[in-house]
Amino acid sequence: MPAWITPIIAPFIVLNVVIGIVTYVTLLERKFAARMQSRIGPYRVGPHGLLQPIADALKLMMKEDVVPTRADRRVFNLAPIVFLIPCMLIFATIPFAPGLGVADLNIGILFFLAVSSMEIVGLFMAGWGSNNKYALLSAMRAVNQIISYDLPFIFAALVPVMLAGSLKLSDIAAAQSGLWFVFYPVIGQLAFAAFVVSTLAAENRVPFDILEAESELVAGFRVEYSGMKFALIQLGEYAHIVGTSFLGALLFLGAWAGPGPAWLGPLWFLLKAMFLFLLVTWIRWSFVRIRVDQILALSWKVLLPATLALLVATSIVVVWRHGAGV
Amino acid sequence: MPVSDTRSKNGTEVGAILKAVLTAMRVTFLNLFRKPVTVHYPDVIRKYPERYRGLLALVYDKETGEEACIGCRLCEFVCPPAVIKVEMLKSEKRNYAKTFTLELYACEFCELCVQVCPTDAIVMTRSFDMPTADRREMLLDKDRLHALGLQHQPSWATGNLLRDMQGPPKMARAEAAHAKKEEETPKVGGAA
Amino acid sequence: MATPTLSRVELDYSGGERLTMNMGPQHPSAHGVFRAILTLEGETVVGVDAVIGYLHRCHEKLSETLTYAQYPSIASKTDYVAAMTSEFAYVMAAEEIGKIEVPKRAQYLRIVTAELQRVASHLLWLGTWCMDMGGALGGGATIFLYCIRERELILDLFESLVGARLLYGFYQVGGVRYDIPSGWAQSCRQTIDLIEQRIGEYEGLLEQNPFFMARAHGVGVISRELAEDVGIAGPLLRGSNVNFDLRRAAPYSSYEDFKFAVPVEAAGDCFARYRVRMAEFRESIRIVRQVLDGLPEGAISSRPGLKSVAQVRIPKGEAYSRVEGPRGEVGCYLVADGSAKPYRMKWRGASFSNLAVLPHIIPGHKVADVVAIMGSVDPVFGEVDR
Repeated sequence: MPAWITPIIAPFIVLNVVIGIVTYVTLLERKFAARMQSRIGPYRVGPHGLLQPIADALKLMMKEDVVPTRADRRVFNLAPIVFLIPCMLIFATIPFAPGLGVADLNIGILFFLAVSSMEIVGLFMAGWGSNNKYALLSAMRAVNQIISYDLPFIFAALVPVMLAGSLKLSDIAAAQSGLWFVFYPVIGQLAFAAFVVSTLAAENRVPFDILEAESELVAGFRVEYSGMKFALIQLGEYAHIVGTSFLGALLFLGAWAGPGPAWLGPLWFLLKAMFLFLLVTWIRWSFVRIRVDQILALSWKVLLPATLALLVATSIVVVWRHGAGV
Repeated sequence: MPVSDTRSKNGTEVGAILKAVLTAMRVTFLNLFRKPVTVHYPDVIRKYPERYRGLLALVYDKETGEEACIGCRLCEFVCPPAVIKVEMLKSEKRNYAKTFTLELYACEFCELCVQVCPTDAIVMTRSFDMPTADRREMLLDKDRLHALGLQHQPSWATGNLLRDMQGPPKMARAEAAHAKKEEETPKVGGAA
Repeated sequence: MATPTLSRVELDYSGGERLTMNMGPQHPSAHGVFRAILTLEGETVVGVDAVIGYLHRCHEKLSETLTYAQYPSIASKTDYVAAMTSEFAYVMAAEEIGKIEVPKRAQYLRIVTAELQRVASHLLWLGTWCMDMGGALGGGATIFLYCIRERELILDLFESLVGARLLYGFYQVGGVRYDIPSGWAQSCRQTIDLIEQRIGEYEGLLEQNPFFMARAHGVGVISRELAEDVGIAGPLLRGSNVNFDLRRAAPYSSYEDFKFAVPVEAAGDCFARYRVRMAEFRESIRIVRQVLDGLPEGAISSRPGLKSVAQVRIPKGEAYSRVEGPRGEVGCYLVADGSAKPYRMKWRGASFSNLAVLPHIIPGHKVADVVAIMGSVDPVFGEVDR
């Protein structure tokens, strides 16, 4: 096979698979949430609702594309794309099995964290370009919240990096062949907990979803979007959640480690990522949200010092365990 | 092994918060395994209770088989949103209703027309199934009302029964009729 | 936009960086149709202009064209969440003018339905309040669906008693229209046992929850002086350390026969009002049990059954009757002129008076608190606009 084909086909395949997973993850969330609320989720479209995501996608494609009269057209139209691209790009660095990934960079996790923070640009563009006070309010809250929680997110993700001693994601996965980092005494669990909480906040999931807050801001920054642009924003949001679930599974839950032959690895990886996603969903459907000043207080006063202290402790543990040469 | 000092920061507070969070998550998790309360309408139609105030209908007299309505217009006068319009047709032995229209789209389902009817002609049925895309179909005329009466099962309430239940002078008669009714019809369904 | 200046609170629209935002009539948490024009400085609300009237249906004029036999079914539509309350107030006013006796059994049946209605209304309140705070796609919706699931059980009880689920026509001048069917008392007991247990579950779900406490503690404090000044009633009053419940202070319809406590909390914030309503659940269930145990035999109405529309004639007079509804005092002022229709009827809507407290307590809070406060005030706009 010519050498230039692989860099084209591999991302294409990964992108399509990711979009497929993301679409069906919405159905998974709806059914899971429904069962927690004594009802059944989508049921009629296809057997047990299996064709619901496809019906939703078709519907959104056929909807009228509304641009408000006084909205900043260029910003408004570009925002969903600018929002979606980082959310899709994060899948480039994730290795789905040893050697199976688009680009297993040496600085894999750094790339992931940096690019995933870029969605905030798209978000603010959407809020500003809509020329809508609700959207603007939500965008301002978004900038506040996501920036505040990216720091604890990064620090919590750095704990496995330090424990593994490498920024390369496949190295981190390989370093868990003995013991998954989530089972690492004390530090692993605390880092996992901090990771989950920061994930919730960095992705606007309840209890930190002050920026969409349907009961106050009616969909927040995406209130003026309809049709395919809305679909792109939804896709971006869910892709981001699935992406960080994959990252969490890789950092803490041992990635593709699991019983059975090696080619089952990606399947275990998917299952672990889905477990993390369901954990986030479970939390989402159990709690009310907290106010923005409380969210920020939690981040700056509690989570940031805690994760910093955790990082310091991890470094002490690593030096103590592996000697000063590492 | 040195432990990170995040736990000791406000130990009991963090512990209490964690316990509360886990309790809440436990409640929602346990609900995952309860049976959903969804009724798959229209594949499954739930059993409407005896006194259900469903669609209105005109009935025929049980003994003679004739129309029970005598066109007295009491229901027209009592209806709060005035959706009933009746024209009387005089005849030798008894009167009839020449036309009887009921605007079901404006009806309040308050059962007052059933209550005042002297001949138990108009009743409410134990069904609500009349989905339609055209509001004009909900303007029921006399034939339609009689058809509904034959199609659906009527509820317990008729004019005489309701008046017997309410009025003190006929208490003894009402109790006897009530007791007889309870014997004949099945018991009311229970909760949950 | 033209802002109606009916509020007494002086709004200062000057000052830099103030944003006027409309929390419009169509809004997921407006509890009906309510327009609040908020003036924001950053995230803090500095002024509230309340605009109501989107649901006005001329009840008071309508009642002058309907007879005493016809209007009780329409009265349900004011407070449609707790429909029995409004009917109760209306027929009590008519009975007071006409000096009409209500048989004991009818009074007890009225109490049973009024208290069951209170439980159902508070279940809806809890669900919608948590949904406002937690989002329609989030934990709030979970609690909302649980509460609705329980409310459906009570509505099933009403359905087997009256035939209707939301808007009844159960009360009539002189008594009630329907007697309880056999087996109803048994299923009623089962239902309230189940609901009592589930309420314990919800309290466990919410009370020690740090997120819920952060949203409800210290938010929307109504001081005792403000509460007594503005004229609010119901759980808002009792949450601000005022021990006033009409069922105790001015008992009607045999409430004095029953033992129940009146919950009062001192803090005056959203959490206090929440605790008052949760305690009211239990007290209402207690009353229902006592009524079912002691239900006397007898007639359910002191007037003969309705045979014609103008059957009930009330002699000249006027009366104001008050009922302790789930939201506060629902009052009906009736002027009768001897015919079958009233000369004038005026509703004292509980939510209408309760809304008056909003411009006093909202300024100073953040936008997110506006929905929490409105939810704990629990307005129903059928009652506000009539």
